[in-house]
Amino acid sequence: MKIVVCFKTLADYPMLTERDWRVDEQHQVDLAWVRQVYNCYDESALELALQLAHDGPDAAACETTALSIDDSRADLFLRHLYAVQYDRAVRIDCGEEVDLRFNPLAVSLLLASYIREIGGQQLVLIGSEGGMGDNRQTGFLVAERLGWPCIREVIDVVPEESRECLCVTSRREGAVLTQTVGLPLVLVIGNVLRSPYLRVPTLKEKLAGKKKQVLVLSPTDLAIAPDNLSGNDRTLVGLFRQRQDRQCVMLAGENAREKAKTLYHQYLAERLKG
Amino acid sequence: MALSREAIVEQLQKIAGPEQVITDEQVLKENSHDRYRKLQSVFGIYALPLPAAVVKLTDVEQVSAVLKFLNENKINCVPRTGGSATEGGLETIVENSVVLDGSGMNRIIKIDADNMLATAQCGVNLEVLENQLRAQGFTTGHSPQSKPLAQMGGLVATRSIGQFSTLYGAIEDMVVGLEAVFPNGQITRIKNVPRRACGPDIRHVIIGNEGALCYITEVTVKMFTYQPENNLFFGYALDNMKTGFAILREIMVTGFRPSIARLYDAEDGAQHGFDQFAEGKCLLIFMTEGPKGISRATGEGIEEIVARYDECRKVNTQIIENWFNHLNWDPSKVQAERDFMRKNLNLGFTTEVSGNWSCINTIYENTIKRIREEFPHAEDLTMLGGHSSHSYQTGTNMYFVYDYNVVNCAMEEELEKYHVPLNAMIVEETLKAGGSMVHHHGIGKYRTPWTKEEHGSAYYILKALKDVFDPNGIMNTGTIYPLK
Repeated sequence: MKIVVCFKTLADYPMLTERDWRVDEQHQVDLAWVRQVYNCYDESALELALQLAHDGPDAAACETTALSIDDSRADLFLRHLYAVQYDRAVRIDCGEEVDLRFNPLAVSLLLASYIREIGGQQLVLIGSEGGMGDNRQTGFLVAERLGWPCIREVIDVVPEESRECLCVTSRREGAVLTQTVGLPLVLVIGNVLRSPYLRVPTLKEKLAGKKKQVLVLSPTDLAIAPDNLSGNDRTLVGLFRQRQDRQCVMLAGENAREKAKTLYHQYLAERLKG
Repeated sequence: MALSREAIVEQLQKIAGPEQVITDEQVLKENSHDRYRKLQSVFGIYALPLPAAVVKLTDVEQVSAVLKFLNENKINCVPRTGGSATEGGLETIVENSVVLDGSGMNRIIKIDADNMLATAQCGVNLEVLENQLRAQGFTTGHSPQSKPLAQMGGLVATRSIGQFSTLYGAIEDMVVGLEAVFPNGQITRIKNVPRRACGPDIRHVIIGNEGALCYITEVTVKMFTYQPENNLFFGYALDNMKTGFAILREIMVTGFRPSIARLYDAEDGAQHGFDQFAEGKCLLIFMTEGPKGISRATGEGIEEIVARYDECRKVNTQIIENWFNHLNWDPSKVQAERDFMRKNLNLGFTTEVSGNWSCINTIYENTIKRIREEFPHAEDLTMLGGHSSHSYQTGTNMYFVYDYNVVNCAMEEELEKYHVPLNAMIVEETLKAGGSMVHHHGIGKYRTPWTKEEHGSAYYILKALKDVFDPNGIMNTGTIYPLK
């Protein structure tokens, strides 16, 4: 089984303060100085794929690929993925000319083209959403372009005894659905509880990972003309930070003990009964 | 004859009141350890003897009465406030110990803006005090990573240090006066004066006693003017630690006092994401503060010194400011760490030491080399590095950081397999080079095998303090002083 995990890294948004959000005339926020992290859904997908490949009955025949569309800053993460035993690390670099933000059509075209033209994988894992301004469409569009079935909100996946099938657990409108499905398949990964974090490589593995080469591809390598990426079915007209105001109640009381009592009796006791 | 567990509880209830004596099993479990056994606690393993009770302290007279009772009956106690200790100092290793919890003594007694003195009970959380001071334009100048969790009594008891120590000093430089209770019930107050020459500085009997001599009930610390608008940040990538130590030294001996002066090696820097901006490089970080002119002049002095070192490359100051704004622990970070440990069986420890300028690089290099070559489970290490974060006229500290995957061992054996031998190698290499084995966490219960070597002939003084102030050995047995 050949597995590809499509991931992206994001600026570590919680580290930003209000004054860091300065939108320029091109609707860009300068985040070059902000630390990048794995998109959390993609991180879960990356770990799930490793477990699927290495812990299953067919481990020797499995091949894992980590794929990202990014500039060279992603190479650090791709080498890290080599360190945690990914077999291949691939980056598609579209250059600065192509704005892939809010453009799932272009992103899905790049991903599907790689899988069809070069990778040849039968299983695609992709995080359900990816940070600011995300549209939650990429996974479905990749599936559509490949003509494969797609399962959303996946929270677990394990191999079935049959090499051609997987046991996939997903959430569906509040219920948990477990189904046995055949390949090829696109899985859109949601809130994975069993293994949300990527495993940690040892020093030796990190060293080995650093020595491996990331395969860098351009759209041309995927037989995609730049014009095919610039078309978007929507136009970015403005960018602003969504405020998330929360109501706050200041507890009254002479001291911490009194405040704790108020907190318990007025806000917690009823909930704890449930 | 030793009192039974039940009798201890009964007597404590008479002294402190039934409501103040907690015997709930889960509370006892949580009070039997500190962050030293963090992996075990994540999995609900409590291997140490549970204390007989946790006494919620309310005032100094009650502390005196409780201690007197414990002393007369030779019952071991473990003083505790915020519970953020990392070296086992809060562990209850003696059967039927009593935990003395001062977190309820959390009143800020006085903010004296005229004399620049802030007085707080032992259970006042540092962040609470700091926020109250900042609202009035002042600061304690003390900012350890544990600020959101730690409380004043524990901070003083462990000789804590904060991120701005190069300018403001460590807790021992900040404490002006104290109130403490000794095991015989004696309440002592050391008055708040700017300086005196009336015999030895007796504050230092109390500061850093780790609960092994007395119970700190009240602390008065200095206040400083808070002027964050003048803060300036500087960061430089460089190739090796030796150059970094040389730059730190030059800045210090020239007379500059940035509030932050740090040197990260490449491995430790990567933990903070610095590798994304300077891959494979060490990083020097500075923050200057104070009145505008001083902050600016300090910054200019630093830039001038660093410019003389060709291997240094300036990095975007926003990276440094961003790092600085997210450095502290808080309950959510502690919880995230616990979740990560549970899921990944991977955890990190630190061992902090110090040395003069002439030996600090030797300590760093020899320690890293020895661990790589001799640690029998090096294949399980996922991170090994460190940083210097507190510099002085005469030297600096080295904060070794190491993470490991827990492989093929029971949770109860994890510390013995990994942290204990790693900690030992760091301590041994430091002492061999002439440094100090503990910079700011306290000795706790697990570096006591080296207490005598650390102090050498001066151990005579340290031992005399225990003999005089705690002759029955009821104060936090096994902490600072090795078990007999």
